[in-house]
Amino acid sequence: MNLDLLLPRMLGLAWLLPLASFVLILFFGRRMGRAGKGAGYLATGAILAGTLFSWSAMLLWVADYPPPGDELVHHAPAVTAVEGGHATENQVVADHHEPVAEADSHATHVESPAPISGEWYALCQFGSLEITIGYYIDALTLIMFCMVTLVASCIHIYSFGYMHEELEEVEDPQVTLSNGKKLRRKGRFHRFYQYLSLFCFSMLGLVIAGNIAMVFVFWELVGICSYFLIGFYIERKSASNAANKAFIVNRVGDFGFLVGLMVIWATLGTFSFSQIFEQVRPAEAEHALTVPDGMVALSAQSEIEQIVISAPDQKTALAQIETKLPDWRAQGYGYGLLVVVGIGVFCGCVGKSAQFPLHVWLPDAMEGPTPVSALIHAATMVAAGVYLVGRFYPVFTPEVLMVIAVIGLITLFMAATIAITATDIKQVLAYSTVSQLGYMTMSLGLGGWLAGLFHLITHAFFKSLLFLCSGSVIHAVGTNEMPKMGGLRKVMPWTATTMLVGCLAISGAGIPLLFGLSGYHSKDSILAQAFLFGQENGATGNLFFWFAAAGAAITAFYMFRLWYMTFAGKPRDAHAAEHAHESPWSMVGPLVVLAVMATVAGWNLPFTGLGARPLIEQARPAGTHLGIANETLTFPAEHLSHSHEVHVPTSLIAFFTALGGFLLATAMYGLKRLDPNQARRRFAPLYWCFKRKWWFDELYHAIFVRPVLRIADAVAATDRGLIDRLVDSIAYGARSLAAADDWIDRTFVDGTVNGIARWTYATGNWFRGLQSGHLGQYIVTAAVGMVGLFILATLYWSYAIAG
Amino acid sequence: MFLPNNPLVVLSLVVFLPAAAALLICFLPKGSSNLIKTFSFCVTFAVFLVTLLIAIPGGSDAESLRFAMGNGEIQHAFSVDWIPSFNIYYFFGIDGISFPLIILTSFLCMLAMAASFPIEKHVKAYCILFLLLETGMLGVFMALDFFLFYVFWEVMLLPMYFLIGVWGGPRKEYAAIKFFLFTLVGSVLMLVALLMLYFASDLNTLSPQQLTACKIDSSVVQQTPEGPIHTFNLLALAEMGQMENSPFDQDLLWGKSIQWWAFLLLLLGFLVKVPAVPIHTWLPDAHVEAPTPISMILAGVLLKMGGYGILRICYPICPAAAYELAWFVCGLGALSMVYGAFAAMAQKDFKRLVAYSSISHMGYVVLGMGVWTITAGNLMSTDYWSLGMNGAMFQMVAHGISSAGMFFMVGVIYERVHHRDLDKFGGLFAKMPIYSGMAMGIFFAALGLPGLCGFIGEVLVTLSVWKYSAVLAVISASVVILTAAYILWTIQRVYLGPEYKGPHGESLHRMTPREIAIGAPLLALAVLFGVWPRAVLDYTTPSVNKTLGDMAVWMERVELPRLKIEREETLHEEEITDNPIAPDLTKPAPSSVSSLTSRETESAR
Repeated sequence: MNLDLLLPRMLGLAWLLPLASFVLILFFGRRMGRAGKGAGYLATGAILAGTLFSWSAMLLWVADYPPPGDELVHHAPAVTAVEGGHATENQVVADHHEPVAEADSHATHVESPAPISGEWYALCQFGSLEITIGYYIDALTLIMFCMVTLVASCIHIYSFGYMHEELEEVEDPQVTLSNGKKLRRKGRFHRFYQYLSLFCFSMLGLVIAGNIAMVFVFWELVGICSYFLIGFYIERKSASNAANKAFIVNRVGDFGFLVGLMVIWATLGTFSFSQIFEQVRPAEAEHALTVPDGMVALSAQSEIEQIVISAPDQKTALAQIETKLPDWRAQGYGYGLLVVVGIGVFCGCVGKSAQFPLHVWLPDAMEGPTPVSALIHAATMVAAGVYLVGRFYPVFTPEVLMVIAVIGLITLFMAATIAITATDIKQVLAYSTVSQLGYMTMSLGLGGWLAGLFHLITHAFFKSLLFLCSGSVIHAVGTNEMPKMGGLRKVMPWTATTMLVGCLAISGAGIPLLFGLSGYHSKDSILAQAFLFGQENGATGNLFFWFAAAGAAITAFYMFRLWYMTFAGKPRDAHAAEHAHESPWSMVGPLVVLAVMATVAGWNLPFTGLGARPLIEQARPAGTHLGIANETLTFPAEHLSHSHEVHVPTSLIAFFTALGGFLLATAMYGLKRLDPNQARRRFAPLYWCFKRKWWFDELYHAIFVRPVLRIADAVAATDRGLIDRLVDSIAYGARSLAAADDWIDRTFVDGTVNGIARWTYATGNWFRGLQSGHLGQYIVTAAVGMVGLFILATLYWSYAIAG
Repeated sequence: MFLPNNPLVVLSLVVFLPAAAALLICFLPKGSSNLIKTFSFCVTFAVFLVTLLIAIPGGSDAESLRFAMGNGEIQHAFSVDWIPSFNIYYFFGIDGISFPLIILTSFLCMLAMAASFPIEKHVKAYCILFLLLETGMLGVFMALDFFLFYVFWEVMLLPMYFLIGVWGGPRKEYAAIKFFLFTLVGSVLMLVALLMLYFASDLNTLSPQQLTACKIDSSVVQQTPEGPIHTFNLLALAEMGQMENSPFDQDLLWGKSIQWWAFLLLLLGFLVKVPAVPIHTWLPDAHVEAPTPISMILAGVLLKMGGYGILRICYPICPAAAYELAWFVCGLGALSMVYGAFAAMAQKDFKRLVAYSSISHMGYVVLGMGVWTITAGNLMSTDYWSLGMNGAMFQMVAHGISSAGMFFMVGVIYERVHHRDLDKFGGLFAKMPIYSGMAMGIFFAALGLPGLCGFIGEVLVTLSVWKYSAVLAVISASVVILTAAYILWTIQRVYLGPEYKGPHGESLHRMTPREIAIGAPLLALAVLFGVWPRAVLDYTTPSVNKTLGDMAVWMERVELPRLKIEREETLHEEEITDNPIAPDLTKPAPSSVSSLTSRETESAR
């Protein structure tokens, strides 16, 4: 049957089954079996079916598009310049290891199979703008599906053992109530599986997403699942703090992501991966990075406005703009927007993949149950950022790649140093995860697209293995603190062995130049790319390689420190030791599966070209096999790093640095020849710097958290103190005015009226006094009056006559 | 169930059924409070049913009263003489802008009435006022005559005043008077603008086709040929505002035209209601003091009237002023978003926090409406503004759902423990699991989590902004961080943690079936609109796009020629003064024309 029809359906089912499981558990979880145990079976069934679908889809794909194996891929020699950027002509770097390849380079460059993309459903549509839910399936999608479903299945099964306490009433030793007792609560077994199912749905949605808006949607959803699961022990203040921190710090990254999305939307009018790539790497320009018309036009908005206003009609205006576009592009219009898009999308990665400076949430996220740490905070969700960078790779300009590389480098080194001093077993692994994610990011930034994504896959297996092993230990001894462990290898042989495999894998153990555990292959590719980058870009470029190599030594050191402190020597805490036991089969089984994967994930199937690396290479975005450059930086084509000149020295250096780290750890913690405490005293400033995690939490609290709260208080105070006071004083003014008016009314207006009235009354009263009713008085009055009038009249007239 | 095919009957029934019921309640005995509440609920339910019947799509024939999808014009309009001597009509109609809000109103009134059952004080008066309020709100959304609109606007004001002032909390008098005065100031501004537009209008300027489209009998014009014929007809006013040489273009004061002043006055009047910072402080007080159902109505419906007024009245009637003041609208929107979010973060009172979150969320509405991107520099494309304005419409509906839900959730807990101090909660998840789950769902909808309704509105608005201004775009995107912070912090303080820290812990019993029946539909709709936003957008888009089409036509017909003339004048002046060589046409002219877009160009780089 046609793959274009079949694959979307199979992967779609694998994606939606966990959603169905989530919905069912949400409504009926508690009623499923005893204490909700059925919910676990349902969720596990859903993800197992998803695994089946994913791996069968992978088989179908491989049958149709057999990968060509490592040797055949990509021998195109050139480095392309950025079209429309500040490119100069002579940046074609000769292929210096295989002169033959130059002639038939285009013949041997195998075209990647076209991705299968399409839409399921439109969320909304406005004119030409449409936001959809769709799919974009290529080999990278498939391999991510296989990895995610497999790791998730292992962790679902493992959790039956690890979370079994949740089936009964739980006493939480970490939560003390106000009455001094420990908290007792009902188990939440089904809730745990409910969140796991939601997470699987979200993570698979993120991977299958056909457009970057859909990635953002599921990006947020995995974020909220992470929030729920970090805060699974909702009664613990530390857990809910960590959950909040994780979500909010991620939102800081999402803010950048959203800005990137806005620019894409405003300039390209689409979110679809295939359409974005077509515009950024047009086939006419041989897939060289080109500033799309939309970005040029948005930058040249004022010029366009002038043309539209001065042109007689719209049609001529459009024609004029059309002719002007190449000029504008050559002048660098719109290039800045392309950089903003790149940086913005990378910001999303910085948040989700816990890169410096937003790495602070991941170590705290270890508050969640250990299977969650393994699934979300090691194997899948945190790798989503790296996946996004890999997916969006065609859009990155050299400047953006440089930023990515530098951030990756800082992250990998800084996190590795912190892991040295951590004593909490999960913290060591958390910082190790941050550090490994830094490797991936740096690799992608240096042009090592394949190496970065390859490391993503191998890391997913060995890091989830390491976390599950640590979970097994924690489950057995009931503490996270390594100083209380020791000597567990005898009671927990399976865990000790599988964890040793994990440690070897992450340290990149192997026989140099031949083969090794999965980490050997992927880490070597990364170092090779860094080495190559150094060769092309001179002294400062070499920093990447040397710091990465030093990081590899530190990695080996802290991993074996962890192993020795946990499993070797004698038990240091009697209580923990007598508590210890090997974990049940449901936990050991997944460990074995993952240990096998951690060993073989880097290998190609014998006699075929089949393996993770060639498969990922199939998905390489068009145009990126050539590398990229601007006038100061050259990001060399990745296939060049397979040459012996690069491969042999890096492989040997990587081996010996790792060996150095291993030997130092053995000397200090295995054989006890060196005293860690002495080292700690001698390097006290460094020790405290690492121990306090470079003071990032304190710094952020001082420069972000406190100021934001201050601003919030200030705003609230403005509301009460300024606006409300203004409003109240206006009201008060109006009332005072009314009172004054009232006073005027009473005193003057009423005063006058009342005065007149009073006067009239008084006069009347006085007159009433006259009316005594005595006839005699009247007669006397009348007589006196008459006499008076008479006198007055006489006087008047006499004067008048006289005057 | 069939509706009579007469819009006059049906729309009047929707609006006046609650008022008639209120009249009937007057004659019910005072003691039968349960009967009165049940009766009132049945009335709100009946109104909701009627609006729901109108909403069900499928009415293809013109006679049907079903809402015709895909039609951007006013539907089911009818116009009856009311006060003929002043050309005032009883003129109703619905379209994609008003109808979603009408059904939101009837839906929330039903839920709020259900949430009113615990009220025991003066039940009769409460129900009467509540029903009058519903009539006022529905009338506002249906009226197409500006005077009628104003009357309903005022009708709704008084019951609200009493509902806060009598049934409110301890500072109810202060809150009620503050609410009343703020709204009244807004109303007065609106009244001034209303009269200005009325006396500047003249039906003689419209063609007979335009008159028919506005449901005005053309015989009116023929009867009195001399002198201007003023009108309150909103559609006719819009036609006049959008024509060349609009009668509203005359200078009024300080060199600004009638429509500039009218736009400003109307905008301020409506922004009081939205509310936008800095004229928002009535809202937190009103919410804190109002009883729960009234808070639901206040946040869910009343705030939407502001947004609706801007969209229905300001933009169509005063396009030139709207174009000139777009930065003002957008700026206030962005300011409200940030300011509201910060203020919410600082609150200690649960209800006050939700109130400030409303201010922040309604900022999106204002911003989305304001992003005037139909410019020459964008080749007159309406798409991005359509995104913003539909986003604003969606956000209004989404916020109606989520804020009503949040206030209800606060009310549920307040009823049990009688306090709202955020520092004295905690551990509710263990005691009230269903309630906590629902509340978290609703809060996540407000937080803008994908799959819930808040996300769609926020994202649509945010995505439209960059084309207008990069700075505002970055500001609006940054609000996602603040929103996450204050909502998660709230959830942590209220629902998580080991135990409840406040008084009356013993009365924290589980949600009653009645409460679940109110919360569940809200949460269900939040999910439905989150995963299927077209349930709202299919209604709004045609009408919003029609409005935007009008704006685009206005730009082409009125603004672009003006810009051309202006540009030629500038070039001409330059030629005369100091530049004997013909200027380079590709370079932006240095003076007035470029200043118009300098904001956009500096942002685009």
